[in-house]
Amino acid sequence: MTGRRLSNILRKEWRVLASDLNNILLVTLLPLLILGELILMIWLISRFGGEAIANNPFFKGALEKLVATLSSTADLPASDLVRILLITQFNFFFLLIPTMIAMNSAAFSIVEEKTSHSLEPLLATPVRTWELLLGKALSGAIPALLISWLCAGLFLIGIAGIGWGYLLTCAINPSWFITLFLLTPAVAALSFLLGVIGSSRAKDARSAQNLALFIIFPVFGLIAVQVTGVVWFSPLLTFVLGLAICLIDLLVLRVAVRLFQRESIIIKWR
Amino acid sequence: MAMIEAYGLTRKFGQITAVEDLSLEVGEGEVLGFLGPNGAGKTTTIRLLAGIISPTSGYAVVAGWRTDGIVEQLHEAIGLLTETPGFYDHLSARRNLEFYAGFYPSITITSQVEKYLKMMGLWERRDTKVGTFSKGMKQRLALARALVHEPKVLFLDEPTAGLDPEAAREVREMVKGLSREGRTIFLSTHNLAEAEFLCHRIAVVKTRLLALDTAENLRQRLFRRQIVVQLESLPGTVIEKVARLPFVRRVEPGEQRLLVELDDPEKNRPELVQRIVEAGGRVMAISEEKHSLEEVYLSLVRENGP
Repeated sequence: MTGRRLSNILRKEWRVLASDLNNILLVTLLPLLILGELILMIWLISRFGGEAIANNPFFKGALEKLVATLSSTADLPASDLVRILLITQFNFFFLLIPTMIAMNSAAFSIVEEKTSHSLEPLLATPVRTWELLLGKALSGAIPALLISWLCAGLFLIGIAGIGWGYLLTCAINPSWFITLFLLTPAVAALSFLLGVIGSSRAKDARSAQNLALFIIFPVFGLIAVQVTGVVWFSPLLTFVLGLAICLIDLLVLRVAVRLFQRESIIIKWR
Repeated sequence: MAMIEAYGLTRKFGQITAVEDLSLEVGEGEVLGFLGPNGAGKTTTIRLLAGIISPTSGYAVVAGWRTDGIVEQLHEAIGLLTETPGFYDHLSARRNLEFYAGFYPSITITSQVEKYLKMMGLWERRDTKVGTFSKGMKQRLALARALVHEPKVLFLDEPTAGLDPEAAREVREMVKGLSREGRTIFLSTHNLAEAEFLCHRIAVVKTRLLALDTAENLRQRLFRRQIVVQLESLPGTVIEKVARLPFVRRVEPGEQRLLVELDDPEKNRPELVQRIVEAGGRVMAISEEKHSLEEVYLSLVRENGP
């Protein structure tokens, strides 16, 4: 029965999403802009700062870790090593895509139900709170995830397009796959769950969006940690991080259900 | 068999008591009108009975299910029309209804949606976005939503509020039809004529339950029955003679008419007419003056303070 209720929520949410051009643009255009920016940034850094990176003592350590992790890179020249470092280190930027979509769509998910007065009839159906919240979170997380994967594919095409295709065999390593197929889904779910929590606690649409801004900080933290090389995300560490975020997802879902107080939402919202 | 039972149902919001010690029973197939001024606790009572909020004390059983427990089974048995029916404006009427119907395992969604869209006269507009609907159409769609899973008990919160007279009449006719189908209906309304037209019994509330009975019994309980005698002219002898009759409690003369309060109107009426004729009065017509439900309601509400 839960499956039927969840798919019912997903169908409705996707119909609502598809009925609004702004929503479609948000889900598709924003990730493509991030992707284009990412490819441009990698190319610019490599083109104008590649040598500096190769000789910088701070990045030297990162390059040594790269060679130690990916034995196939051992014989490559320093310029190619920098390129591979850039390609792999910007992996976590794909985490930004679901997070940014969540900031908007998840933030409005419950607030919109409140403002349109559709929440009370919905709560009078046999739907359970956790089904409603999970359905809302998944309805945003699934398309955001698909878009993230599409962007990852386009990223590889873009990298090949700037003439670095020969490096892809080294760049597409186990960490890449773990990031894309474990870490990104976990972060997508987390972002949307946090967005839904914010939405259910917010007094209005504006405060919902303000609360949603906080979702992005942990992701920025992860990106900063990876890009600066403070922590070297080996496949094992990436895997452990992915699992940890999956567990956090479950915990956050429980918290979301506790925080979603049907009574106060219905009574306080007029 | 009682479909709605409330026992000492009380709900407080901080220091404010919205519903106090409400006890009532509504039988199967009965339409109960729930009347009260703004802030009397009508919507809170509906939310309590629909299992959307929990009581501070007391409990209720609706369609055999406790309303303060796991409410999934309760929600399968009830339909709720909220005071402000909200929809997903970007979706069509059909898609909206399909979504709500999708939560009930026991129904065939497509046929139920078709049945109620047709019943509410919205089938032709089934693929139109709800955002373009008039208030009356939205209200009919909300009624379809409340009914799509064939609930045994219906809670209707101000179903005609804000509708134009024609739309309000349409909704009333639909509710009447549902009552004929034998559904138990709990109807909260400000419209006293509507309550009298639709309801078997009427509850008047003002945080507490002030009265619960049929409209007729409430009238009799609060006001004595009065007979209006229309006369060609009103000679003083007639007034004197009528006032002296043992079964007459009160006489109020008017212009060519007498307002008479009797012990037992059915029994005393023929003798009253006879005495008036004997006293020289020429009776043109005789009727009973009925107090409106509004008078009954206002009397009850005012009696119980501000």
